[in-house]
Amino acid sequence: MNFSSTQPIKLKNVSTIYEGEKIPAIKDVNLIISRGEMVTIIGPNGAGKTTLLETINGLLPHTAGKVEVLGKDIKKYGSYIRRRTGYVPQEITFAEATPFLVEDVILMGRFGKIGLFKSPTRSDYEKVREVMRLIGIQDLAKKPIGKLSGGQVQKVMIARALAKEPELLLLDEPFSNLDLNALSDISRKISYLHTIFNLTTLMVIHNVASIPPSCNRAILINQGRIVEDNLSGKRLNFSHLKMLYRVNL
Amino acid sequence: MILLPLNIITTTLIGASLAGVACSLIGVFVVRMKLSSLGFCMSHAAFAGAALGLALSFNPLVMAMIFSLTSAFLLGPVAEKAKLHPDVILGVMFSLMLALGLIFLSLTPGTAMSSSAMGILWGSVLGISKTELIQLGGLTGIVVGLIVLFSKEFQAIMFSRKLAEASGINTKPFFYIILFLTGITIALTLKLIGGLLIFALVVNPASTVYQFFYDIKKIILISPLVGVGYCMVGILVSLLFDFPVGSSIAIVSSICFGISVVFSPKRKRG
Repeated sequence: MNFSSTQPIKLKNVSTIYEGEKIPAIKDVNLIISRGEMVTIIGPNGAGKTTLLETINGLLPHTAGKVEVLGKDIKKYGSYIRRRTGYVPQEITFAEATPFLVEDVILMGRFGKIGLFKSPTRSDYEKVREVMRLIGIQDLAKKPIGKLSGGQVQKVMIARALAKEPELLLLDEPFSNLDLNALSDISRKISYLHTIFNLTTLMVIHNVASIPPSCNRAILINQGRIVEDNLSGKRLNFSHLKMLYRVNL
Repeated sequence: MILLPLNIITTTLIGASLAGVACSLIGVFVVRMKLSSLGFCMSHAAFAGAALGLALSFNPLVMAMIFSLTSAFLLGPVAEKAKLHPDVILGVMFSLMLALGLIFLSLTPGTAMSSSAMGILWGSVLGISKTELIQLGGLTGIVVGLIVLFSKEFQAIMFSRKLAEASGINTKPFFYIILFLTGITIALTLKLIGGLLIFALVVNPASTVYQFFYDIKKIILISPLVGVGYCMVGILVSLLFDFPVGSSIAIVSSICFGISVVFSPKRKRG
């Protein structure tokens, strides 16, 4: 495997085992993603999609192999990499009384980037307003996060990930709580960001129908292993889905 | 009603204000991050330490601090690593520390329930010395200073530790700073309200303010004021009815919290 700096994600024989488990959630994964690619990861529940994403950003420590992100070893430079990586977690929910306003939640996405001993500046607040406009949630700025619907929270989390002006975007089922209108809107916006900023994007998707139009590569994952790579959305066919989801189509 | 010399009243009110600020600021983190069980154990560890100090004729404050901080640094990683439910920690450690405290008190030379021992149990803010006042002032300064210095990081951790980590903040040192501050605040304010009730001053002011605001910045700003208010009213009640100070503060703050739950806009519709 040839590692070069134009490849923001490089995984070599990577396995990750959860604490207290014996069987790896992902096993011997080899993956290279080049700068500017938009890649979707597809697979059934429990296939290891989220584990793969969290292994890439270092939230889950891998137990074997080597993970390089943005040219650095995730084990040594985890915080450095996460400061430059936008991450939208899977279906996050908040209690109704959660004492945080939407604009503060989005600003927090920049806190790692701002760094220790420094306060947010005017440009940080301006960036927050800019991403809120981009995602179309500027009217939610002063609302408590716990009062939002699932779809609105999802948009806030996407805005939060974008607020740090990431070099790499990791999205874990970003469309899971969205209605059809919001889904196509957000899908177009992710495609727009990818195209305009050449933003390397890796997203986990459950529903193959929601693969964004600009996605040029799909990876199928099952039982912790990559079973198909380099499929374009158009080349996905019934046999792939039948293999993954074990249903007759 | 008890009448006291002006200098004692002044020292008492300053001491209570400083303790109110420090405890209720720490309470904002303890309540939001659901660290109550850890904090509760720390307060009883401080009580056990102070009791051991009395039994060994050693400075109770130093022993309270050693016990409280040791429990913080044992319980934090243990709770994280072992993924123990807070109820389990509370059930095991609370009874252990209380049992140790009572055994140490029974070993105290002279009468077991001497005024010093009673002070540790129920608090005696009226007997606060100038040195203790300076220590409390220093502590409050440190708590306020650290919260201002790392306000971004603390806010992010209070929102979601996982998301804070995902945005590039190394959350572990900040989590331990919170545990350390909780332990040291509890130990230093032990004399004011007593080992059995100190947690009322940590939890009740912040819990009250949480009932009214959705903005964490406002909660951080207002909780210390409410904490000072509870201490002042508690001391007044204590002087008026000759109740122990700690008990008075705990009762006043608990009643106010109850009222805040009833009138909380977070529970109203429309």
